[in-house]
Amino acid sequence: MSASKSQFRNDWWLKSLVAIVPGFVLALGLAGLFAWWGPGGIDANNKVQFNMWLIAILWLLIINLVFPLRSGWRALQWIGGLAIVSQGLLYLARTGGAA
Amino acid sequence: MSAGVNGVTTKTRNGIKVRGELLKMYKSLHTWVGICSGLLLFIGFFAGALTMFEEPIQSWSTPQQHQLRLADQLSTDELDLLVSQVLAEHPAARQEIQINLSSDQRITAPVSWHEAEADHHALDLDGHERQASLSESGELVVRDYAPGQLAELIDQLHRSAGIPGEIGHDILGVYLMGVAAFLYSIALVSGLVLILPTIIRDFVTLRPEKSRKRFWLDAHNLIGLTSLPFHIVIAFSVVVFAFHDQFYGALSKTVYGEQPMFGGRGGQPPVVHQIEQLPPLSELVAKVRQAAPEFDIKAIEMGGLETPRARVRVALSNPDYLTRGAREAYLVMNPYSLEVTNWDVLPGHEDGWSGLVAGMFGIHFGSYGGLPMQWLYFLLGISGAFVFYSGNLLWVESRRKKQQQLEQNGRRINSVRLLSGLTTGVCLGVMAAVAVAMLIARYASLHSSVADTTINGLIVSGYYLVFLGWLVWGLLASLWDERRTGQQMLMVTGLVVLVIPLAGLLSLALGWSQLSLTSVGVELTAMVIGLGLVYGSRRLAAKSAARPLELASA
Repeated sequence: MSASKSQFRNDWWLKSLVAIVPGFVLALGLAGLFAWWGPGGIDANNKVQFNMWLIAILWLLIINLVFPLRSGWRALQWIGGLAIVSQGLLYLARTGGAA
Repeated sequence: MSAGVNGVTTKTRNGIKVRGELLKMYKSLHTWVGICSGLLLFIGFFAGALTMFEEPIQSWSTPQQHQLRLADQLSTDELDLLVSQVLAEHPAARQEIQINLSSDQRITAPVSWHEAEADHHALDLDGHERQASLSESGELVVRDYAPGQLAELIDQLHRSAGIPGEIGHDILGVYLMGVAAFLYSIALVSGLVLILPTIIRDFVTLRPEKSRKRFWLDAHNLIGLTSLPFHIVIAFSVVVFAFHDQFYGALSKTVYGEQPMFGGRGGQPPVVHQIEQLPPLSELVAKVRQAAPEFDIKAIEMGGLETPRARVRVALSNPDYLTRGAREAYLVMNPYSLEVTNWDVLPGHEDGWSGLVAGMFGIHFGSYGGLPMQWLYFLLGISGAFVFYSGNLLWVESRRKKQQQLEQNGRRINSVRLLSGLTTGVCLGVMAAVAVAMLIARYASLHSSVADTTINGLIVSGYYLVFLGWLVWGLLASLWDERRTGQQMLMVTGLVVLVIPLAGLLSLALGWSQLSLTSVGVELTAMVIGLGLVYGSRRLAAKSAARPLELASA
């Protein structure tokens, strides 16, 4: 891996795909965690609209974080990994983590 | 994220190399997302700027002689009588009725309803509504009315770039605009990264003399950077406007599950009331004034009066507040008990969450701060459109040199000419087409009946004919000589726009119209835009005269 470490790769297609698919899953996961564990909890009045906006804001942030990553593969590891973690935590939140 | 970006700021030769490669990457990214989204965004921003003055534009285009007596000409008793008579005699009005209390410029009747269900998403070209008022002698007057679609056309252009076709329950163009907003956010970030290094050095310098490209680039950067916060909010709110259904769907499936998303709706069992039990309008108005004393009541919309879901939505305005709607705040009530059932969309009464959301809507719409804010948003919209136009031209300019070399070797690249033609055709085409639609709306309706829908057909076909004509002209002429084309089309578009103030003067002289603040405002603004286009064309002409085109002879 040491040879590829010094090289920055554009990887337009893979990075775009990562931004769109795992990127959305991560945005949704983070917004979901905010919905459950954020202020007010899941049943706070009117919070759902804010959570919906949050998806858009987070997704755009994530999309813009993908392109400066060193390679498409690296992006897939980071964003995909975080997406899985966020969804795992969300599962926890939904099944009993809500205090 | 730090692992990947680390290389930028720290360490050794690798660091510097990566930094150079990052900037190169951002440069191509900026170019391509800009080119892919720029034209759609131009239309959205230009039309969006116009929607800030939707009401004056609509009233400018609607002949005044056809008005019924409006709410401010009726006494409280007369209004009560009008509403109860309409509801008693016209069952369709019980499903949905609009009562306009303001004397707002767009309003043409105090009460209106539809005989058939209306489609709120698309342009309703042969849509009729029923309007009613009381005559001087207290008789109920009901008429057929075809609402002018000019303001609606501009609004549709703003939301969908005028791209027709429906998907799901929205217009295809709306989704395309949503996709453009993603690309636009990338263009904003990459553009910012690209000018960060030079930001302190020369961000406030315009260099008109140095070279043409430098001038466009400086203007592009200066406007882009100064209005960045506005652009950021627009980018993510457009994503929300396009994809909220999908986002709510995803939230419901993966986050909320069994949890209710929108809370319980009222505790009382639904009751079906008789229309005779409806309290008079004046009682409702008194109740609203008590509930929201600092607001003006603009309109009252009652619906489902004979169903368990009877409701009243009151549109309120006060320029001191950020509001949820494009122009107004709302109060939702039960029409029979006159209880407020939803405070959430009334500023000052909402809780933290809906307040935040209303703020984001308000910042997109510029629905706060009154007239000065409307002008500021108008300028932000126009200058945003300029950023997209200039962005495309910058690419064309930077490619021209490359093309020159290749053409000398006998090869032609048409991509430059294609984009140049598209940019000129689309951007100037929208401006010319809106001007023509405005002229048709105002002058074709001068002597026609209020129920005549042919004018709406004319407005829309006039728009698309001119737009497509300009597009074809731009594309074909650019294949021949794209620089001359840009300059000629700027001139012709400017002249078309200038017809608006000229026709205004003429119709004033002929006595077709009266002088009003609205007509002066609309026509003066058109004059400034028209003169700006003519000036731009003259500048381009002077530039190409100073630097004759080598490639024209190739």
